[in-house]
Amino acid sequence: METDRTILVIDDDIDLVEVIRMTLENEGYRVIDAQTGERGLATAKREQPDLILLDVMMGTVDEGFQVAYELRGDEATREIPILMLTAVTDQTGFDFDPGKDQEYLPVNEFLEKPVSPRKLIDLVRKHLPAKA
Amino acid sequence: MAHRSPPAPDDASHFVSAASLRRRLEWFDRLRWVAVVCVVVATLVADGVLPGSLPVGRLLAAAAVLAVLNAVYTVRNLRVPPTDLRVELRHVKLQMVGDLFLLTVMLNFSGGIENPLLFMYLIHVIIASLLFKGREVFQIAWLAIFLLTADVAGEHLGLLAHHHLLSASPATHQLPFILLTLGSFWLVLLFAAYIGSSIMKHNRAIKDELVQRQRELVVADRAKLDFFRFVTHEIKSPVATAQSAVQAALELGEDDLPDQVKDLLGRAVGRLNLAIEMVKDLADFTRGGDLKRVEPAEIDLNVLIARIVDGQLDEAARRNVTINMSLPSIQPHVVGHAGMLEKIVRNLVSNAVRYSEPGGRVDVGLDLAPREYVLKVADQGIGIAPEDQEKIFDEFYRTRLAQDMSNLGTGLGLAIVRKFTEELGGTVTLESEPGRGSTFTVTIPRTGDTNPPREEP
Repeated sequence: METDRTILVIDDDIDLVEVIRMTLENEGYRVIDAQTGERGLATAKREQPDLILLDVMMGTVDEGFQVAYELRGDEATREIPILMLTAVTDQTGFDFDPGKDQEYLPVNEFLEKPVSPRKLIDLVRKHLPAKA
Repeated sequence: MAHRSPPAPDDASHFVSAASLRRRLEWFDRLRWVAVVCVVVATLVADGVLPGSLPVGRLLAAAAVLAVLNAVYTVRNLRVPPTDLRVELRHVKLQMVGDLFLLTVMLNFSGGIENPLLFMYLIHVIIASLLFKGREVFQIAWLAIFLLTADVAGEHLGLLAHHHLLSASPATHQLPFILLTLGSFWLVLLFAAYIGSSIMKHNRAIKDELVQRQRELVVADRAKLDFFRFVTHEIKSPVATAQSAVQAALELGEDDLPDQVKDLLGRAVGRLNLAIEMVKDLADFTRGGDLKRVEPAEIDLNVLIARIVDGQLDEAARRNVTINMSLPSIQPHVVGHAGMLEKIVRNLVSNAVRYSEPGGRVDVGLDLAPREYVLKVADQGIGIAPEDQEKIFDEFYRTRLAQDMSNLGTGLGLAIVRKFTEELGGTVTLESEPGRGSTFTVTIPRTGDTNPPREEP
């Protein structure tokens, strides 16, 4: 059980946040959440989570992208791995190719909802930085 | 949601475009050459029959002026591309004014009011009423009336020379005949201008309405698409969350839940998955044109196919199906729409896996020809009866056998394959034998990429 790792979930779907919280807390992670991009950014800076789960669409179709760029642009949050979640891959009119777009999209993984609990746990483990 | 309405063309209420008007202008040029030849031939014939009755020199000079002007018009039409309708229309008007002047001059040399060719004025008014709007049509009609009336009055009053035409009777010099003819001329020309322009006005109104309706349709279509995207997202999000919740419940309670409950939750997950697939397929199916609007880019087909096959390996393993890829050894770079290609390949491969018997094999092959590329997906599955082979490309159609075998299909996969393939200008064909398997062959033309395939570095 890893009790000292914190995961920040930024998503306005409260039900999904609860599902993710239960799944990850069951694995021993601490889960904190934020329902808007703005609060997510503030929480990320303050709490310094070990990993961030970020939803693409919150208030606007690409709020998640803005948040991702700001997280990467800020010294304090630059190194935190980001797993990005989206409901419809091509919602914003262009398809993402996780292989190709990685260089443009500053996230570690791009996941289409629904993500099974097993897969989510595997990916969180994969991207969590090794303990200092 | 913001809609960009298409720009309103200035010339929407004209019946012609600059390019089509230009084609008519060129036609006028040819007609004018015919007129030049006719004037020359008629003059020479008339002079041969009745020597000295016509001022041959002047008539030929007028024909020469017409020829020179026409040469200028022809060269201009060759040099200047037809871009602005208003410029073209101004040009037509100028030519028409020039033609009317020359017509009057020639009529003056050949009998004036005695010459029945004064009907030529009417032709100009009719052409004007087809091309111009009301006021301008009457300008042309009044100009024709003025020119002929001035000529006739000038000749009658002795201000202009009068040349008898062949067998014209002396009655043509009498005022009643002149007034009767001129009066009829005025009436016919003005009436033609009125009828012509009012019919065209009505036609233009109809066309304006059609253009307007078309514009509204485009906007409505875009609104429908936006709405559809919104609905897709709004339906998929809660269903995906529900799926995640039930899935999490199943996994968290793995050891504690009674088998009955696990079975029920498993069924719920299955149906939620189907709902998600359905929403995704519907979104794909209605968004084809949208995907095509994305700029085509260079794609490595090997990478694209390998990635999709990779995504199907879990499902294949669960069904004990192997997937065999045969891809070209050179890097098959094409320029195309990756989004659409991916959906074509994914639907074919996932179908092949889904409808294979355990232990079966799926072959995914790619052939790169200079003008097209051919994708083949073959399975050893349940196959498709001949009577179903055309129908399976229809939306929501699933064969009895497919329904018995899997309740996961949405009936949209092959409809998407066919729609996207056709949108890319390609074809999809099927060879199948019930019980032995099916082979789907998608052929897509290589448009846009002219470079030969690169050698592997």
